Amino acid sequence: MSLPALPLPDEDRQPFGPPPEYAALRTAPRLTRVTCPTGLDAWLVSDYAGVREVLGDGRRFSTRPGQAAHVLAAFRGPDSPVEGGFSQLDGPEHIRIRRNFAPQVSNPRRLAELQPLVEQITDEAVTRMLGSPQPFPLHSQFSTAITTAVIAELIGVPPDRRHLLHEAATALFTTSTTPDGLRRALEPLWAYLYELVATRRARPGDDVLSRMIEHSADSERPLTDAELTQMNGALLIAGFDTTASMLTYGLVCLLNTPGQWAKLCARPELAASAAEELVRYLGVGIGLLRQATEDTAIHGQPIRAGDYVVVAVQSGNRDTALHPDADRFDVTRRPGAHLGFGHGAHACVGQQIARIELTTVLRALAERVPTLRIEVPLHEIEWKRDSVVRGPAELPVAW
Amino acid sequence: MIRVATDRDRCIGSGMCVLIAPAVFDQDPDDAVVVLLDESPPETARPAVEQAVDRCPAAVIRLLPEPADRV
Repeated sequence: MSLPALPLPDEDRQPFGPPPEYAALRTAPRLTRVTCPTGLDAWLVSDYAGVREVLGDGRRFSTRPGQAAHVLAAFRGPDSPVEGGFSQLDGPEHIRIRRNFAPQVSNPRRLAELQPLVEQITDEAVTRMLGSPQPFPLHSQFSTAITTAVIAELIGVPPDRRHLLHEAATALFTTSTTPDGLRRALEPLWAYLYELVATRRARPGDDVLSRMIEHSADSERPLTDAELTQMNGALLIAGFDTTASMLTYGLVCLLNTPGQWAKLCARPELAASAAEELVRYLGVGIGLLRQATEDTAIHGQPIRAGDYVVVAVQSGNRDTALHPDADRFDVTRRPGAHLGFGHGAHACVGQQIARIELTTVLRALAERVPTLRIEVPLHEIEWKRDSVVRGPAELPVAW
Repeated sequence: MIRVATDRDRCIGSGMCVLIAPAVFDQDPDDAVVVLLDESPPETARPAVEQAVDRCPAAVIRLLPEPADRV
């Protein structure tokens, strides 16, 4: 008997997701079993409490197969194409890597240093945009330009090498990329970073990579060159594409939900809550994959060791258990304990950087470009089709 | 007064608690692991601490029950 297919984002049908099927799935008394695009069968968890329970319990639900192996063809099979990938580690091994990341990306003191850099990059990008012909391609020339510059400056990747991370991200996030195709596509970035690690070991700078080297040198098990390469590669790839897409997608949502952009422009100090609300409302539409490590149960449904579980994060964030009016987008809302950055030990490692970037850029646009408008109607926006990072492929804007 | 406890072994250093309740929580500059600044903050800190409990991704913060003699 064939199973129903996992409902996936389809922005032409539901521009700000999740697909309409989830309304019924979320309140159904039993979990549904689905077939995922990469062929694996999984239990589908789509309510807030269930998603939070699965993501919050790394002991029962492992991330070993890869968080998006239900949709990314490259992660099919037993061997990870991203060697040493920290997102596929569980327990103490994963904590060890996290603790080398965290002081650089989520420590308040480090983040305070980051704020002026993000403001400067944003101000320059807005000025450049205002001096450009219209319509202006916002996603490539503004959102991606800003988030690339921020993460590359943090890690110390010079402008002439930044194309390497764009190429790597395209391959990694494209659902149809094959395992070999992914290895080949990552190779140039990995080779460059491997060299960069050696350079920074010899001549440390004030960048994240140098600080990771220095920090881990004092630890019981210092990070290897391969680990440093993988960690910084992951930070670079995830660091620009997800945030850029959230910015562009977020502006479509802000400008197409009546009254929301006007509210933000009238009170630019709402940028922080608007950013958080966008992540709640639009985040992780594709869902996340876990694998049960033992015989267990979710909402009374027995789950066997080895069974796959897909958590529909975006659906969980629309659960009335989180907010009575969770399906409404509201920039004045305090989104609370939403799941848009994930949850549990694998929650987005760059989420504090993303908050600073999203807040700074939204505030700058609200203050300096309140007349911003999208030059095509919602139904004509060209959405990314084959990527796990959702949003418009490009966005023509004017002001 | 409320009583707060943290599990430093499982902390991932996400920084959420410091963002929400900076008077109660800090992070070790070396590994970003949670540092409890005040184990028994005043009752007024309860809403922020409850939010920190709810929003800690690694679920390592607990609000302890009142001591028996106060119940």
